[in-house]
Amino acid sequence: MSADLSIRNYSPIAQRAADALLRSLGGFSVGLQIPSPVASGDAAQLGITPQTYQSLPLSPAIFRRVRTTMQEGLPEKFELAVSASAIEAQVGALQLTSADALFAQAAGVTVNGKLFLIEAVTAPQAYGQAYLYRLQLREALPQGI
Amino acid sequence: MENAKDTFYVALRNRLAVLNPNRTMLLRGVQRPGILVEEAEAVVAMLPADVFVLRWTVLQTDVNLPLVLARMQCEIHYTTGGTMVASGLDRGRALEEMDAELLNILAPPSTPKLDYAQNPVLQLNTPVFWTAADFTPAVTLRDRITRSARVTVFAYQEPGEL
Repeated sequence: MSADLSIRNYSPIAQRAADALLRSLGGFSVGLQIPSPVASGDAAQLGITPQTYQSLPLSPAIFRRVRTTMQEGLPEKFELAVSASAIEAQVGALQLTSADALFAQAAGVTVNGKLFLIEAVTAPQAYGQAYLYRLQLREALPQGI
Repeated sequence: MENAKDTFYVALRNRLAVLNPNRTMLLRGVQRPGILVEEAEAVVAMLPADVFVLRWTVLQTDVNLPLVLARMQCEIHYTTGGTMVASGLDRGRALEEMDAELLNILAPPSTPKLDYAQNPVLQLNTPVFWTAADFTPAVTLRDRITRSARVTVFAYQEPGEL
């Protein structure tokens, strides 16, 4: 076996195609909830000082319910497909190293004002570059570690 | 009871910062010692690795005393997948290190009770004290080993205290 070490030039074709597809499917805007840096202190760590969040707009995005067998007491799961170009723009704006760093900081995603927690993130790629981010979400319920 | 919970966390956090300054985490954009109170942070799907997570569970009170004695159970959860340098093959050692750190920061088993809701922080008249850690068996799930320790924390309810 040999590895494919060929040089691949950057090509935005797949990203543009994905963006066009998301828009054609009714792509809308969702908000990635990123905690605003707060003064480090006891009150912030003890839940005395309320945390504030900034909502980073991600667009175009498609939101749908994951069709799984429903079980009593378990929250429903959803899938969010977000444009990779929108994620890249936010990674650049926040001067982060990767999309993983962005999602690691995120407290969740707001869709039409409702908060969902991020359970998993995958990024299908074409020519070594992510053209879409698929986020598995679930409704924000009190504790469930 | 809230003052006792706050005091217990801050005591452990300060001791951890001295014992192992390298055990830190970046949480909500702030670098801090690797210990947190679960109920004071955002809900997450998975325990963060290599940090101590305090979870408050049982509460009992003894009212047959001059001051009400609150008895609260704190579960301290921690999980590790080892280090990337060792490809996770040192996860057993990493867990052992966290076991030892937890034992160390729990001693001495008492500290003066403080009211962190006041500014400046107000020292109260009674201490917070706790039992030795009761460790549970380690649980392996995929590439991570998880353990928890139960500690019973005692505190007297002072007049007018939350």
